[in-house]
Amino acid sequence: MIALVASHTLSQLLGQRRSLLMGLLAAIPVLVAVLVRVLAELEEDPREVALGIVGGLVLNLVLPLVALVFGTAAIGQEIEDGTLVYLLTKPIARWKLLVGKVLAAWLATTVVVGVSAAIAGATLLLGRPADLLLPAFVAAVAWGALAYVSLFAALSVRYGRALIIGLVYVFVWEATLSRFAPGTRLFSVRQYTVSIVEALANTPARFLDAQVDTTTAVVMSTAVVLVTGWYGVRLLQRYELRERS
Amino acid sequence: MAESTTEAAPPAPVEVEHASKWFGNVVAVNDISFELRAGITGLLGPNGAGKSTLLNMIAGFLKPSAGAVRVGGEASWLHPSIYHRVGLVMERETVYGHLSGYDFVLLNARLHGLDDPQAATRHAIELVEMTEAQSRRTGEYSKGMRQRIKIAASIVHDPDILLLDEPFSGADPRQRLHMTDLLRQMAAAGRTILFSSHILEEMERLGEDVLVIVGGRLAASGDFRAIRRLMTDRPHAFSIRASNVRGLAGALLAEESVHAVEVEDDRLIARTRAFGAFTSALPRIAQASAISIYEVAPLDESLESVFSYLVAR
Repeated sequence: MIALVASHTLSQLLGQRRSLLMGLLAAIPVLVAVLVRVLAELEEDPREVALGIVGGLVLNLVLPLVALVFGTAAIGQEIEDGTLVYLLTKPIARWKLLVGKVLAAWLATTVVVGVSAAIAGATLLLGRPADLLLPAFVAAVAWGALAYVSLFAALSVRYGRALIIGLVYVFVWEATLSRFAPGTRLFSVRQYTVSIVEALANTPARFLDAQVDTTTAVVMSTAVVLVTGWYGVRLLQRYELRERS
Repeated sequence: MAESTTEAAPPAPVEVEHASKWFGNVVAVNDISFELRAGITGLLGPNGAGKSTLLNMIAGFLKPSAGAVRVGGEASWLHPSIYHRVGLVMERETVYGHLSGYDFVLLNARLHGLDDPQAATRHAIELVEMTEAQSRRTGEYSKGMRQRIKIAASIVHDPDILLLDEPFSGADPRQRLHMTDLLRQMAAAGRTILFSSHILEEMERLGEDVLVIVGGRLAASGDFRAIRRLMTDRPHAFSIRASNVRGLAGALLAEESVHAVEVEDDRLIARTRAFGAFTSALPRIAQASAISIYEVAPLDESLESVFSYLVAR
């Protein structure tokens, strides 16, 4: 049943104009990588350059935005247009519905962002020693995507304006506030992802600059997935058909 | 020695016990109680009366603020297992526009975990006469077609309880007739059907029993014909324009079914408690008095006024 819900959700997410927009967004790191490769002389460690340019773009912009759009649309769109009723009027445990929805949003995000990061990274690292940097980076992106979409999916069940709330989280909380208030970094999915990238790639990424240690990142991101998942299931179980805030 | 066994009667398919629902300070449903058995029951009331709120509570989509709502003996709130038995058609007409009619119903069949979802889908689509249009995207359907494909999706698992919120909305007369026949057949096969409407004529065609809900309260319940009689026998007022208003007023006062007449400029207001007797007497009186009638318009004929009358009783 989870697979059925996930495939149904994927057909909704990828069959629309939104997936084209996400594709264009994901093309940005690739374009930048091509420009850098063609126009610039790379004398530094190519792994650091790749992490700095591609990693920065992907982790600061592409990953959170794609996860936000797919994560909120997976359930939020069905609530908005009233079709969620077709899922809720079935004798299916609500956790299976949520897992199917999150799984679809996670797959869509990971594929779009992972392919973008892989192509952009390969463009910069082609013919240069890179160890396992690329697979490590894509794995970290996949892990971060799971935390993001779980968070945004739960937000979309609770709030009609989840997209705006998510934008505030990404651009105000994660990108701005965490610079001035170090304590907020503990609640930043971006920070968890950066920390995991550094740990997996085993490369000091001076442009990424992880602020939380790897153990904290793994524990906190797991907690985000579990807590928002639990909250989302609870909201779906008690879902009432009426106007939302 | 003969053993005597006492078997408890099975619970009614739908039980509503002193159910209320309020949103903040607004009371949408106020202390309503009834039971539904097999057959068709109409839920009649003006817009905003609380019909959809009541249906949503029965369907498990609203938690009762007070009282209890049970389906098959089980509380509908927080129990998705009721959907094995329940089919629901919501008033909102959205469907998955990117899916064909067939795929939409098939998705519902598969979500129900049916053994042969394809066969169940074909059967449900045949029942609502949508086989020809089943390959088209539901986003291209007319309002009436969307309504029918929604009904197909709601009956694909062969539920024994069917809840329909304004099911005939957007359907043309032929489709209404067909849907009426379909619901009658389903009721005859032992299913419990509750459908809401704010249109009296729809009840007339379909509702054997009726629940009249006004302002969140149950104003009347029981046999539709008895309630219809109550509605017909209530005081009626007609505005009449004629060639000789005063002459007609005098003639009408002599008519037994008329209990008051007022003359206002170029028209008169006639009041009666006997709708049928008055409407058949009026042309006879006019003809006998050689008076031409230009216009007869019922006053105070809105559904809301009919409901208000029922509530006042």
